[in-house]
Amino acid sequence: MKFSDVLASLIHDMKNSLSMVVHTLDEVTSDPSFNYDRPERITALQNEARRLNNNLIELLTLYKIENERISPSIEDMDIDNFLQELVAENSASATANGISLAYECDPDLFGYFDEGLIRGVLNNLIGNGIRYTRDQLMLTAAQEEGYLVFRVEDNGDGYPEPMLRAQSSDESSADLVEGRTKLGLHFASMIAGMHENGERKGFIRLQNNYRLPGGCFSVWLP
Amino acid sequence: MASKIEQLSFLIVDDYGDFRGVLRNMLQSFGVQKIDSVANGREAISHIEANRYDVILCDYNLGEGRDGQQVLEEIRARKLIGPSTVFVMVTAENTRLMVMGAVEYEPDSYLTKPFTKDLLAQRLERLLMRKTDLLEIEQAIAHKDYDLANQLLDRRIADNPRNVNEFIKLKADLCLKAGAYDQAENIYSGVLMQREVAWARMGIGKAYYHNRRYTEAKSVFEGLIEANERFMAAYDWLARTLLALDEAEAAQKVLETATSHSAKAVVRQRTLGELALKNSDEKVAEKAFGQAIRMGKHSIYKHPSLYANLARAKAVTTSGDVGMKVLRDMQKAFKGDREADLYAAMTEAVIQEDMGNGQRARQCMVNAHEFYKELGTRAAPELALDMARTCNRMGEADRARELLQQAVKNNHSDELFLKEVGDTLSHLGLSDDPQAMIGDIKKGIVRLNNRGVELARVGKLDEAMLLFEEAVEGMPGNKVVNLNAARIFMLYMQEHGIDSRRLEQVREYLERVRGMAPEDRTLHKMQRLFSKLVRQ
Repeated sequence: MKFSDVLASLIHDMKNSLSMVVHTLDEVTSDPSFNYDRPERITALQNEARRLNNNLIELLTLYKIENERISPSIEDMDIDNFLQELVAENSASATANGISLAYECDPDLFGYFDEGLIRGVLNNLIGNGIRYTRDQLMLTAAQEEGYLVFRVEDNGDGYPEPMLRAQSSDESSADLVEGRTKLGLHFASMIAGMHENGERKGFIRLQNNYRLPGGCFSVWLP
Repeated sequence: MASKIEQLSFLIVDDYGDFRGVLRNMLQSFGVQKIDSVANGREAISHIEANRYDVILCDYNLGEGRDGQQVLEEIRARKLIGPSTVFVMVTAENTRLMVMGAVEYEPDSYLTKPFTKDLLAQRLERLLMRKTDLLEIEQAIAHKDYDLANQLLDRRIADNPRNVNEFIKLKADLCLKAGAYDQAENIYSGVLMQREVAWARMGIGKAYYHNRRYTEAKSVFEGLIEANERFMAAYDWLARTLLALDEAEAAQKVLETATSHSAKAVVRQRTLGELALKNSDEKVAEKAFGQAIRMGKHSIYKHPSLYANLARAKAVTTSGDVGMKVLRDMQKAFKGDREADLYAAMTEAVIQEDMGNGQRARQCMVNAHEFYKELGTRAAPELALDMARTCNRMGEADRARELLQQAVKNNHSDELFLKEVGDTLSHLGLSDDPQAMIGDIKKGIVRLNNRGVELARVGKLDEAMLLFEEAVEGMPGNKVVNLNAARIFMLYMQEHGIDSRRLEQVREYLERVRGMAPEDRTLHKMQRLFSKLVRQ
C-alpha cells in the first residue's frame, strides 16, 4: 500500500469520527430539552472539532501539492451559490459563538477557480474569524481590477501593524507570525498563487478597517 | 420535481451505522418522512429495484462489495433510476478529479464529509432546482431524442440565463454524442478563447480525436496530465489517441501510470490488459486482468473475457495448469453462461495445444464452434475477433478468415471495430491487404443498402423488401441492414396493411439490434414507429 493511500484512508476514518462528533454536538445543542448550565463549553468543543477538520483538509491538500504536484482544476463557478453554501456550512458554529455571519455579492457573479481548494481556504479563514472577531463576520466577493476578490472581514481588533507592514516589504508576512496563523497564511497564499491566468497569478492581502472595523483578509484570483 | 424537500423520498446508503442515523436525523429535521437506509451496495440495489426514490445519498466507501460508484453505474446502466432522481455521492475527501469524466456515469453532486444540516439543505434545494431546470433536456437525451434536446438547449442559450455556461457545456457534450464533432470543436474553442476551463480543454481533445487530428489530441491530453497528474480521464484518452497513432507500447505505458495512481477502475485495467497482451507483455497483462476481476466482482463490467485473458497470461508467465485453474474459477463465477463456456473452450484449446495435448485441444475447438453457433447474433463483435485468433492459432486459418469477413459484414459502419479487424487480419497474416479486403466488403454492403433504399424511394417496396430480407439472411448481425429491413417492412405495411408474419420479422430485426446496440438512435426511432404500427 502506498503512503498516500494509507494517508487517504486514515483521513477518511478520522473524518468519519469527526463527523460523528460534530453532528452529535449539533444535535445536542439544537435539542430544546437539552439543559446544560455551561453551553460555552459545548461551543468550545464544536469549535475545536471544526478546526481539527479544517486542519485535516489542509494537511491532505498540502501533502498532495507536495507529492503529486496537483494544480487547480479550474471550473466556472456560480459565486452566489458558493458563498451561500459556505455560510450554510458555518452558520451553526457562528450562531453558537454569538457571531452574525453574512455574505454579499452580485447574484449574477460567476468566477473561475478550483472549488475544493478555495473552499478549504475560505473555511479556514471563517474558522479563524470566528475566533478573533467581536460579533460580526462578513463574506464578500466582487470583480475588481480583473481579479475575482474574496474578502473575509471581522470587527475584532484587526491585524497587528508589523504583519500589515511586512506584506509590502520583501519580508514574507508569514515569517512574522507564529503557529497556526502562520500555517494558515502559508496555505492561503500558496493556493491563491497556484491560480494563474495568462501572466497573472493569484495572491492574498491583509488590511484593517476595510468595511468592518477589524481585519480584512482578501484572496485575489486572476 | 419542483416539490418541497419534505415531500420527497430518500434512500441513505452508508456502511457506518452512526452516520446513517445522523443523516436520518438531519432529513427528519427538514420534515422528510419517507426515508429508507441501507448499509451496503447489494441492499441499495434491491431497494432501488423495489422502490422509486427522489434522492439517493450514497457514501463512496461501502466496505466489502460494491462501492458507491459501482452502485451508481449499475442503477444507471440498468435504468433503475431515471433522469429525475438526484444521486449525491458522499465522500471523505475531494475525489472529484479522480473520477471526473473518467467514468461513464457521474453523480449529480459530490458532498464531502462532514457537512452541516444547513449545508445539506442548501445543496439539496439547489440540486432540485437544477433538476427541474434541466429535466426536459435530460429526458430528451435519455430517450436519445438529440434533435429535441438540441432545440431545447438552443432556446435556453438564446435566453442567456446566468448559468448559460452550463447549457453550452451540455450542448457541446451532446454534439460529441451525436457525432457532430466540428460543431463540438467550435463550441469548446469558443469557451477556451474566453478562459482556460478544464471541461472545455478535455472536450476539445475529444473532438480532435474524433476528427482524426490525433497529434493535436495527443498534446491536449498530455497538457492536462502535465497540469494535474490525477486527471484520470486524460490518461484514458491519451492512451486511445496513442493507439490510433499505432503507438501501442506508449499507450500501454500511459495506462500503467494511470493504474498506479488509481487501481480501482475496471474498464481501465481491462484496456491495459488487452494492450499488454497485444504487446506480448504477459506479466503486465496478468496483473491488470487480476485487478480487473478483483475490482469488478460486483460491477457491471464483470465479464468472462477477463478470466480468459488472465488464463492466457498466466499460461505464459507461470504454467498451463495455472491457466486452466483460472478457467475453472470462471465457470464457477458464470454458471450456465454460454458465452463463458465459449471463452473457456477457446482458451483451453490454446493452452492444451501448447501443453502438447493435441487431441484434447481439437475437442475443445469442436465445442467452441458449437457454442459460437448457438450464440448467433447475441455474440458480441469482439467475440468474433477472439474466435478468429483462436482458430488461426489452432491451424484453422480459413475458418479464421471467414469469421473476420463475417465480422466486417456485421459491423461495416463501425470504423473503430473495423480497424481492429484490419489489425487482426494483418497480425494473423490472413490478408496481404486487409484495407482492400475490408473496403470491398464495405462497398458491397453500401451498394446493396443504397439500391434497397432507392427501390423504396421509387415506390418498388416489394422489391426492396425482398432485397433486404436476403441481405439480413447473409449478415444477420449487421445493425444497419437490420434497421433498414425493419424500416422498409414497416413502410410496406403502412401502405398495404398489417401482416402478422412481417410484423413478427420486424420485431425480430429490432430485437436483434437491441441486443447489439440498445442505445442506437435509429433503433429508438424504429421502435417508436413499430409501436405506432402495432397500435393500429
